[in-house]
Amino acid sequence: MTERMPVSVVTGFLGAGKTTLLKRVLRDPAWADSAVVINEYGEVPLDHDLVAAGDETFLSVATGCLCCVVRSDLTQTLLDLHRRRAAGEVPPYARVLIETSGLADPAPVLHALMLEAAMTDTHRLQSVATLVDAQHGLDALDRHPEAQRQAMLADRLLLTKSDLAPDTSGLEVRLRGLNPAAPIRAAVQGAVPPDWIFAPGQHATEPAALAAWLEDAGTAARHTEGVATIVIEREAPIPAMALTLWMQALAEHAGPKLLRVKGLVAITEAGADRPAAIHAIQHVVHPLEWLDAWPSADRRGRVVLIGQGLPRHWPARLLAAIEDEVVSASR
Amino acid sequence: MTPPELRNLLVDSIAVWDVAGAKVALANDGVAVTAADGLVLRILPAAAADAPLRWWMERPGQRRPYTGMTGLLRGLRNALGAGDGLPSRLRGAPG
Repeated sequence: MTERMPVSVVTGFLGAGKTTLLKRVLRDPAWADSAVVINEYGEVPLDHDLVAAGDETFLSVATGCLCCVVRSDLTQTLLDLHRRRAAGEVPPYARVLIETSGLADPAPVLHALMLEAAMTDTHRLQSVATLVDAQHGLDALDRHPEAQRQAMLADRLLLTKSDLAPDTSGLEVRLRGLNPAAPIRAAVQGAVPPDWIFAPGQHATEPAALAAWLEDAGTAARHTEGVATIVIEREAPIPAMALTLWMQALAEHAGPKLLRVKGLVAITEAGADRPAAIHAIQHVVHPLEWLDAWPSADRRGRVVLIGQGLPRHWPARLLAAIEDEVVSASR
Repeated sequence: MTPPELRNLLVDSIAVWDVAGAKVALANDGVAVTAADGLVLRILPAAAADAPLRWWMERPGQRRPYTGMTGLLRGLRNALGAGDGLPSRLRGAPG
C-alpha cells in the first residue's frame, strides 16, 4: 500500500475560531502544502483575500495552499481531490485538514474517514483538534450536546480567544471532565504551533503517546454530568473472541452513548509480550494495531471508554461475563 | 457467573437501555426482572447438561434458551420493549 494521506479534523462550536486557526496554519510555510476541506459550504467562509477563486469545488489559496469547499459527500470530495492530485491537476498537497460545521457532531466525519475501503486505502485519520472559545465555551458546553461531543472526541483541545477570558480554570475543569487526557493549550488569534495542534493522535504508530494518554485517562477518570470516562485495567491478556464479542455488545447496546474506545491490551492468542492497540469511534472499530513491545515497563492492559449515560461498572461487568463464557467454552 | 453478578450486570444494562421503572432482584438461582407494566421475566443459568445452552429466560407461557450473554441481553432488551429494531452493529474500518 502506498503511503496514505494524513487527515486532521478541526472541530469546535460556532465562533470558536476554526477558520482563524486554519488561515494562520496555511500561512506557515511548512504547512502551506495543505488541502483544506470545509464540510459546510458558506458557513464560515475563508476570507476572500486569502482564497483565490478556482472552480466550484476546488480553490487555490494565495499562499499556494489548496482549499476545497465540500458541496457533496465528504468522502467523494476527498477521493476526487486525491485523484486530481495524482493526475497532476492540483498541486501535490501533503495533508488534508477538514473543518467541520460548528453545529455538527464530528463523529460522522470521522466515520467517513474510517469506513470505506477506498478512503482508508488512500487516507488515514491522523488527529482531531477541538477548539473551544475561552469566553463562551462554558455556555456552549452547557447548552449544546454537540459541543460536548466535539470536546470528548478531541486529541487536542485549544482554548481560543484566551485574551478575552483571563481565567479559564472553570472551563478547563469542565473540559477535563469531558476528556481527561487530551492536552489543553490556550491561544490568541490561532497562534499555536501546527505541529502541536495537529500532532498524531494516540495510535499504535505513537505507542508512547498512546500509553501516556491511557495513563492520564486512568488517573483522571470520572463521571461528570452524565459523561463518563471509564477505565478498565487488566493484568491478564484478553481472549480474542471475548474482545470481539465485548466490543460488539458495547456497540449494540450503548449505541451513540459510547463515543470513543481506546486501549492497549495483550491478546491471549498472541502472547503477553506484543500488545495490541484498540481504537473505536462509536460503533466503528479500527483493526487491531500490533506493537512490537509494551511502550514502558508497565505491562498492564488498559481500555478507556468515553461516553454519556454509561454506568461506571457496566463495561467491566459485561467483559467479565463474556470472558467467563469464552474461557469456559475453550476448556 | 454468580446471581449477584448477573443482577448487577442486568441493572447496569437496563440503565444503558433507558428502561424506566424496571426492578431486578435475586430469585432462587437467577434473577427476576419486573418491568414497569408488571411483566416478570426470570433469568436462570442453564444446567451443565444443557450445554451449549447457558441461559434461560422465562415469562408466563414461554421459556427461551440462550447460548451466551450477548444473546441473553438482546432477548431481555427486546422483552422489555427497549429494542430498536435493527441493533447497532460493530463495523470494522478497513485496515
